[in-house]
Amino acid sequence: MALLKLAVRNLRRNRRRSTITLAAMIIGTVAMTCLRGFINGQQRVIIDNQVEGRMGAVQVHKRGYIANVLTSPLALDMADTPELRQKLAKIPGVVAVAPRIEFGAMLSTPDKKPQPDDGSLLPPADQGKTSFIMATAIDPQAEALVTPLRNSFIRGGKLFASVDAHDIVLNDDFARGLEVAVHPEGTPLPKVEQQLALLAPDRDGALNGENVVMGAALPSFSPGDRRIGLVPLGTAQRILRMEGRVTEYSLAVSPFDAAPRVRDAAQAALGPDFEVHTWSELMPFIGTLTNTQDFIFSVISGVFLAVVLLGIVNAMLMTVLERVREIGTMLAVGMRRVQIIQLFVMEGLVIGIVGGLLGIALGYLIVTLAGHIGIPLPAPGAAVPSVVKPFITPLYLVSALVGVPVGASLACLWPAWRASRLRPVEALQTA
Amino acid sequence: MNLIELKGIQKSYELGKTTVTALRGVDLSIAKGEFTVITGPSGSGKTTLLNIIGCLDRASAGRYQLDGQDVSNRDFDDLAGVRNQKIGFIFQNFNLIPVLDVAENIEFPCAVRKDAEKPEVLRQKVERLAEAVGLKPYLHHKPDELSGGQRQRVAIARALITGPALVLADEPTANLDSATSEQIIDLMLALNREQGVTFLFSTHDARVVKHAKRALEIRDGVMVP
Ligand SMILES: Nc1ncnc2c1ncn2[C@@H]1O[C@H](COP(=O)(O)OP(=O)(O)OP(=O)(O)O)[C@@H](O)[C@H]1O
Ligand SMILES: [Mg+2]
Repeated sequence: MALLKLAVRNLRRNRRRSTITLAAMIIGTVAMTCLRGFINGQQRVIIDNQVEGRMGAVQVHKRGYIANVLTSPLALDMADTPELRQKLAKIPGVVAVAPRIEFGAMLSTPDKKPQPDDGSLLPPADQGKTSFIMATAIDPQAEALVTPLRNSFIRGGKLFASVDAHDIVLNDDFARGLEVAVHPEGTPLPKVEQQLALLAPDRDGALNGENVVMGAALPSFSPGDRRIGLVPLGTAQRILRMEGRVTEYSLAVSPFDAAPRVRDAAQAALGPDFEVHTWSELMPFIGTLTNTQDFIFSVISGVFLAVVLLGIVNAMLMTVLERVREIGTMLAVGMRRVQIIQLFVMEGLVIGIVGGLLGIALGYLIVTLAGHIGIPLPAPGAAVPSVVKPFITPLYLVSALVGVPVGASLACLWPAWRASRLRPVEALQTA
Repeated sequence: MNLIELKGIQKSYELGKTTVTALRGVDLSIAKGEFTVITGPSGSGKTTLLNIIGCLDRASAGRYQLDGQDVSNRDFDDLAGVRNQKIGFIFQNFNLIPVLDVAENIEFPCAVRKDAEKPEVLRQKVERLAEAVGLKPYLHHKPDELSGGQRQRVAIARALITGPALVLADEPTANLDSATSEQIIDLMLALNREQGVTFLFSTHDARVVKHAKRALEIRDGVMVP
């Protein structure tokens, strides 16, 4: 306690130096906290876009589905029964269940001019185009609860009026490439030969198709989602001859971090014929992305911290030089060398606690404020506007509150050690 | 048995290639309760000798017994406890701790002990000592608010707080005017007379020597017989 009193008084002795050290520390921690808050907010946007815009928090498939996901295996399907949906909906934390079929399909646009009567071919520019799409068949009502964000992204139209509508929703970049436009609502449908043709092989490989129109456009909101098309579930089941069957259930979960718990509960409830995954297992690239960001953040904050701590080392070395005679006196009257070390480390600790507390409090304030206001900024690779709402996790708060003072006291170790090694006979004789 | 027993104490400093010998075989005994002055010209080795006696420095050769313990070869940090309990220091330039007030400076040697007394007990001791050195009204002043004489009184009180067997003072009056020097010497004499504190101090000042009960002279690193 005597040491703490001494430490505090010594810090107050050279106010200007302590203030500068403190200011460096506060600026450093505020910057670190704001950066962390912003990264958190951006990661949340990326995750939300994926989870609430496309995937859902937890997905259920027939066992083996994910291993073969690239071939969109229709054979690994399941009966879409009320009992099964009930079973899933009853799991604590599940708030909505959306049935889906993922399948590969072809989309053909009509020719722009009628075929010439003379049997010659249309010039290529006038021919219709055919393109492969990754189709997701959805139930619009259920999907509104599981992927509400996607509904809010929809432009120039709306998501299917019914589960077996003759509509399709395409990415707007993709639609532009295909020269397809949204069919304006309320206008009469074009003639059948002027509609799009959606073709898909069923489980037996037989190609079936239906005519559809583009009901709405969806902007891109994550990398690689431009070839995805949304199809009403009933329509897809007709084309694929899979009435009453689905390949996927997507679950909305609340609270958000209940996903792993829900996964385990769902797996237990469904048994070994099924497999259940959380969004982070389904989209490992998000983990890679956030890990990379976290790594860059730790490098940056490490550099920040090092600069601030070197400032402390410098200030402390100066302090030691100024207090040589005093240190000699303390050693002469019987203070031990470790106590000298403790004294200087304590000075670092006090600066660290004060600077850390103020810096983190100020940073937290700024981040919380920014979180309320929101920073409009699209997620990387997304064409939709989104609002980044910075936030700070309790874990960060705790580790910063511990780490900054610990760092500051470690920074004092070397000056403290130098002070403790002073030879009192010489120290006492300095002016 | 004598409080201090020095036998053949030598001290030399290596300065590059040359060796400076500050003490060349000092024998000295000091009994409990003595009031001893060491005089000698500048560079004769007074400070060096007092530093060795105060366990601040180690002799290059010779034996040193303090209060029955052989301390000749013990490490500096190891002697922290000995310095703290047995020796009080008074310095020429006072060496008070500027951030502590008078009371805190006086109690400092006791406050840094692991088994420090309760603050109330310590405070009582401090007040008694402050009374004795005439600093009662200044307990809460910082050193820079005091005159040189007052500062040296703080240093004396600080040297006495632990109830040391020996108080060492290296030219305690060198930075004081003659009237104040006189007062400080009187104070030390009184403490010696009334409380039996053993004093050993060095000085250049011939006037203070006349007060001493025992005066020794050192010249070129040896005691003048
Ligand atoms: N750290 C040191 N390194 C080298 N030589 C030293 C050192 N300390 C003292 N000396 C030398 O030792 C000798 C004795 O010095 P000391 O300080 O003990 O003398 P002193 O009697 O106290 O002198 P003064 O009256 O001026 O204080 C001197 O020649 C001095 O130069
Ligand atoms: Mg000297």
